[in-house]
Amino acid sequence: METFEVFRRSGHKDPFEHCGAVIAPDPEMALLMAKECFFRRREGDHLWVVRRSDIHKLPDESLLDIAADKSYRFAHAYRDVVAKRERARARARRIQEAS
Amino acid sequence: MTYEDRLARFNEHIEAGGKVEAEDWMPDDYRRGVLKFIEMHANSEIMGAIPERECLPFAPSLQRKMSLAAKIQDEVGHAQLLYRVAEDLGKSRDAMYSDLINGKSKFHNVFHYPTAHWGDVALIGWLIDGAALVTQAALLESSYAPYTRVLKRICAEEQLHLRHGEDITLELASGTDAQRALFQDALDRWWLAIIHFFGPRSNPNKDLLLRWKVKTRTNEDLRQEFLDRYVPKVLELGFSFPQPVPYLDDDGHWRVREEDIDWGPLEAVKRNQGPETARRLALRRKLWEEHAWVREALAEPAVHVA
Repeated sequence: METFEVFRRSGHKDPFEHCGAVIAPDPEMALLMAKECFFRRREGDHLWVVRRSDIHKLPDESLLDIAADKSYRFAHAYRDVVAKRERARARARRIQEAS
Repeated sequence: MTYEDRLARFNEHIEAGGKVEAEDWMPDDYRRGVLKFIEMHANSEIMGAIPERECLPFAPSLQRKMSLAAKIQDEVGHAQLLYRVAEDLGKSRDAMYSDLINGKSKFHNVFHYPTAHWGDVALIGWLIDGAALVTQAALLESSYAPYTRVLKRICAEEQLHLRHGEDITLELASGTDAQRALFQDALDRWWLAIIHFFGPRSNPNKDLLLRWKVKTRTNEDLRQEFLDRYVPKVLELGFSFPQPVPYLDDDGHWRVREEDIDWGPLEAVKRNQGPETARRLALRRKLWEEHAWVREALAEPAVHVA
């Protein structure tokens, strides 16, 4: 018997999400078990099972920490765009008035 | 790193609200405690299916029979999810099942008592599932993360069971005198066991599970939440409580007096000597033996013959 991790997709626009695990002798039976355990109310439109031994995980969660300031990867780094737009408009008006 | 260093780091992690995964390092006492706790929860789900199963023939309509059967299936499903989580802590399902049917492990007190009629289905579905939901919702914050993930699903289904039980209760409560008497009789027989359900007063100094935040609230705190939530609902339907009779305290909380609670019956249940313990465990043992061929057939991958 092996442990299979179960993944479920709620709908076509959603990613597969982990929802639990079952023990079964093979993938076919794992799918049946997963359906009985996690889909009694049709909680999704698709189902995967994956052998736990086939899942590779990061040895240490801290490897996900971002080493340096990379705020430029996030929208909040560009919050002052409103003020900048005002300044740019003012500058454009001054150029127009001068010409 | 020495064991003491690891333990200190673990305690710090928990103290800071950190969560624990199955493959993380954890103190032996934490592993044993969590395993025992989840195993008992799993046992309770699978044993809890039996009293309701006994009530199936009392169903007043086909619709009621089907909805009760679906609920029973959910309870067995919860046991499957919980045993799976417990297995990852190092005890096989066979070992857990064998301990259960040989009376070596425990299950919740309420499943040691007999059922009598359809009124019991109303009471179990509404008040016992209600009590269970109070305790399980509190566990959603548990430090053992794999447990909280299955509890999310379990609580969602228990919410439905609660509605199911309330629906049956309200039907009886708004029906004939005989129907109302069914619920009152069930309440008279079950009330003390429901009070016991939350357990005696917790001792936070001794309770490792509280210290490690596997449990996040004390027994009396959970019992209080239950009383405040359900006592007024029962009273407004015109039913009355046996001992311990709840009273409204000056601070607006519904309470029961410690001296009104007879803990005797719980002591017997804790030794697996409740009124229905032996019979129900015998039924589980019989099913386990009769289904041995299914487990054997499933032990090996399927061979497809062309």
